[in-house]
Amino acid sequence: MMPGPQSSLDAAGSAARVTGHLLWLFVIPLAIIFVIVVAIAVVAIFRKHRESGRPAVETERGLTRMVTGASVLTCVILLGLIAVSVSTGKAISDRAMPRNALTIEVTGNQWWWSVRYLNDDASLIVTTANEIHVPVGRPILIRGVSADVIHSFWVPGLIGKRDLIPSRVTTEWFTAEREGNYRGQCAEFCGLQHAHMAMWVVAESPARFQAWMNAQLGDSANPVTPAEQQGQKVFLEHACALCHTIRGTTANGQVAPDLTHLASRLTIAAGTLPNNRGNLAGWITDPQSIKPGNHMATVPLAAEDLHPLLDYLGSLR
Amino acid sequence: MTHPLVTPAGPPRVWDEQQDREALARTWHDPEGFLGWFYATTHQAIGKRYILTAFLFLLAGGVEALLMRIQLARPENHFLGPDRYNQIFTMHGTTMMFLFAVPVMEGMAVYLVPLMLGTRNVAFPRLNAFGYWMYVMGGIFLYANAATGAMPDAGWFAYTPLSGPQYSFGKGVDAWAQMITFTEISALCVAVEIAVTTFRLRAPGMSLNRIPLYCWSMLIQSFMVIFAMPAVMVASTVMLLNDRTIGTHFVNPAEGGDPILYQHVFWFFGHPEVYIIFLPALGFISAIVEANTKREVFGYPALVLSQVATGFIAFGLWVHHMFATGLPQIGEAYFTAASMMIAVTTGIQIFCWLATLWSGKVRMTAAMHFVFGFLFIFVMGGLTGVMLASIPLDLQSHDTYFVVAHFHYVLIGGALFPLFGAFHHWFPKITGRMIGERLGKLSFWLLFIGFNTTFFPMHILGLNGMTRRIYTYPASLGWASGNMIATVGAMIIALGGVVFIVNAIASLRSSVSAAPNPWNAPSLEWSVESPPPDWGFTYQPVVSSRSPLWADPALRTVVTGMRNDRREIMVTGVAEAEPQFRTVLPAASLWPFLAALGISIGFTGSIFAFSWYYVGAFLGALGMIGWFWPRPPKEIEP
Amino acid sequence: MSPARTLDVSALPPYEISNRAPLWWGQLLMAVIEGSLFCVLIAMYFYYRISVDVWPPPGVKPLGLTLPTVALIPLILSAGGSYAATEGAKRDDRRLMLAGLTANILLAIVFLVLRFIEWRTFNFTWASDIHGSIVWSILFLHTFDVIADLLMTAILIGIVADGRHGPKQRLGVHVDSVLWYFLVLIWLPFYVVVYWGPRLVGSR
Repeated sequence: MMPGPQSSLDAAGSAARVTGHLLWLFVIPLAIIFVIVVAIAVVAIFRKHRESGRPAVETERGLTRMVTGASVLTCVILLGLIAVSVSTGKAISDRAMPRNALTIEVTGNQWWWSVRYLNDDASLIVTTANEIHVPVGRPILIRGVSADVIHSFWVPGLIGKRDLIPSRVTTEWFTAEREGNYRGQCAEFCGLQHAHMAMWVVAESPARFQAWMNAQLGDSANPVTPAEQQGQKVFLEHACALCHTIRGTTANGQVAPDLTHLASRLTIAAGTLPNNRGNLAGWITDPQSIKPGNHMATVPLAAEDLHPLLDYLGSLR
Repeated sequence: MTHPLVTPAGPPRVWDEQQDREALARTWHDPEGFLGWFYATTHQAIGKRYILTAFLFLLAGGVEALLMRIQLARPENHFLGPDRYNQIFTMHGTTMMFLFAVPVMEGMAVYLVPLMLGTRNVAFPRLNAFGYWMYVMGGIFLYANAATGAMPDAGWFAYTPLSGPQYSFGKGVDAWAQMITFTEISALCVAVEIAVTTFRLRAPGMSLNRIPLYCWSMLIQSFMVIFAMPAVMVASTVMLLNDRTIGTHFVNPAEGGDPILYQHVFWFFGHPEVYIIFLPALGFISAIVEANTKREVFGYPALVLSQVATGFIAFGLWVHHMFATGLPQIGEAYFTAASMMIAVTTGIQIFCWLATLWSGKVRMTAAMHFVFGFLFIFVMGGLTGVMLASIPLDLQSHDTYFVVAHFHYVLIGGALFPLFGAFHHWFPKITGRMIGERLGKLSFWLLFIGFNTTFFPMHILGLNGMTRRIYTYPASLGWASGNMIATVGAMIIALGGVVFIVNAIASLRSSVSAAPNPWNAPSLEWSVESPPPDWGFTYQPVVSSRSPLWADPALRTVVTGMRNDRREIMVTGVAEAEPQFRTVLPAASLWPFLAALGISIGFTGSIFAFSWYYVGAFLGALGMIGWFWPRPPKEIEP
Repeated sequence: MSPARTLDVSALPPYEISNRAPLWWGQLLMAVIEGSLFCVLIAMYFYYRISVDVWPPPGVKPLGLTLPTVALIPLILSAGGSYAATEGAKRDDRRLMLAGLTANILLAIVFLVLRFIEWRTFNFTWASDIHGSIVWSILFLHTFDVIADLLMTAILIGIVADGRHGPKQRLGVHVDSVLWYFLVLIWLPFYVVVYWGPRLVGSR
């Protein structure tokens, strides 16, 4: 029951941190109220009664005072809670966002995340999938859209939910305050593989983030070894290229994750499996048993083609 | 009671009670036999059927819940695949909300309200039977579709566009959408009857301030049904089903439709729905507490007014289900404040019951155990509800297991525990047999412990990031132990359910018959024998107190002069319940069943082609003609 | 049992054809149910209206005003038939009941015929766009209710013509009018919204 990498209780983002404080501002008074109510009820069971039948007038008067007082107190406590809640809500609202935010467009798809780092200079736009890198200390604006059904962007350690809605744009912002890897997951039921629609947010120092950006901006690595060259050929000549993009090659499919820098990512299949050669092999040969119902087709591959393909994909750093 | 029509002195009227009972039995008894079963229109028969049918659906929903808990017990479990799991959680939510919770509350009201108000039947007995048949057929319709492979899998609120024509294939979602029409028609029928019965058919002298609190709850609930249920029919039938079957564009963004509007319309019903389930339960609590503390419930006007306020406020909170969609800030602040303020009206009621318990002589029957279980569980659920009204907290906990925990605390604690309490409380009245107190208390403790074991860890799971509606989860996120505990708790709940059923069956078979008023309760249903005769009251009582059986256990002021050879009831004034005129209820009839059957055929076909609506309308109209066509001389004589 | 006091109600009338009858209350609540359904539809209409710039959408011929406006005349007059039937029911005047009910049904049929003629001028269906979807839903549901009520009226004509009209059936005539008044009344806001709305609220 300890907080894991997807816990809201171990906050490392501005929005999640103030919300975490708010949680305790609510929990403590409410827990006290709960204990008092239950205690009164339990004592009432065992209490010795002096009278039976219709209670005396003065008893009723005393009860009236108690009930009125408790009701007024409830109002006061709730007004206080509304005040702290609304002020926290203001602090994390879009209007409170500092300037110089980095805008990241997240597109929900059944069942993966497409990620684009927006920039006025089109040549500086980075496209990736299922993994978001952010620099610590700089505000991040998430611009949410959806390609199909409603999804919800949620990284509990950093920020609360925002739905990604077809034909609409939603926004929210946060600042990562601590380096680390934070897991996020789609929070609005979106169909068969809703359970396997996760992502990782990597918060790192500005310098490392810039290095990552620079690497992501480039085209894919050219295959070097014969096996990698063979693997690229396999990729381009099979159905893979119809759905996936690998920049710098002729593969420019738009309906599945961009694989230009696949090997630099922590996971595959939207957070379903750690990104290693064995999992990748299993995923390519039989995606439907790992994530039943997902939209990746099982591409029939000759036995001798698999390892060159893995070599090639492994080289896409 | 000094009513102008009451004859206070003079020679007592002479009558033969035995003779009157025989005459009433001939008039009010529904036909016997298999076919006769379809004719029944007495509120007791219909009420019992509602309750029994709803409990069968509770069983189905419970089994579905257990299947989900087994799947989630361990990370990466393969007990259920994603398709099956999604279908089962959809069926669980749908069954519990539409086929169990609302109908069981309607059924209890159909049974209890006329007896508590001191009248012989609901205002529209044939409509009552029709409503029951629509409910049964809707339930059969959904489960028959599910059994033939068309099981809905888009969740109990079927958000578009996931549930729309582009992303949900097959007939499952269509069946879901049309099932709602069946059950809502049923709920609306009951709401109209209960409202009119409460306004117009109360025993003479039962002025507004003497109506039992349970009947007040049902009256308010009926109005909530009347205003809320049409919205869900618009959402499910007009928007979703028509988009799927005849190509309208209500939720299709490409042609100007809007999936968010579906959410608005759905939750405009969906939030009041919670109170539609919950208000009757509050009425149970008042009745059980009153009978078992031997004092009138403290703060009768406060309880009634806060329930009325709840009824109003409940229509102003629906947006708190949609905070994550990103609404304008000013609207958010309003909906936060309104959502928290409903805690005040609920709090006042809790305080009133606490005051009653504190100053009364508490008798710990099995029913009272469930009342205390209610106080514990519901108060916790209400307090987490206050947390969810806060937008920042909601953005972290919305659609997680924190919410799953919250609404099970509210619905199970706030509705199911009171319902089980009511079951134990009124079991002697309905069946004529005393219920086993020891097994009742045992089932309470199993359910109470099992419930908290299942759902308390879910709060923590949710805060630790576990989202709703996932069929599996990786081991690395720290959710395994919480889920295992929850599954163990679910098994304890199941055991409690078994004890509950065993107790009910054993008590039915026992030879301990129940006296008219085993709990020494104050309301009118306890004045007649257990189980009550078909006509309820041989002589309708005249009421002069809020607790008539405590004021005068023998109910010595009664109504005479009603005809026994037809189903006569008395209509009384709305405010003071002064006698106004008599009216005659229709006799038992097969037509409500036939009308419901005809309409059901149309609805069933409508998920395949729109033109089936016309078939349903035609068959339904034939049924209604038979229903209303007067058969002389009895049905047209003055 | 020896009750000390009794309330003898045998002198009370067995029926009352008035707004105090439970059936009247039930019919009123049924009207409230339909009213809240229609309110949801009107709210939806405006929600869709304000979310686009051009309404009705490009290519949709604006709805004509003449026919629906003319159709209001028989519709409103038909309520007079209902009123006459109600008065006949209260006085147990069979001929007045028959005349009122028949006038009601005939005028309503004129209204429906005008409506069906008008529908032929529409150049959109419910499947064209969102304007078509919401307008057709309103028109369909209202028409469905009108036909259902006319059917009820026809049954009542049959009952009265057959001489089976006891007080209970006369009460039926009375409450049938309640539903008809409601259907006439609820049409007026619909008429304004559907036909005048696009003209009064110009495009943004």
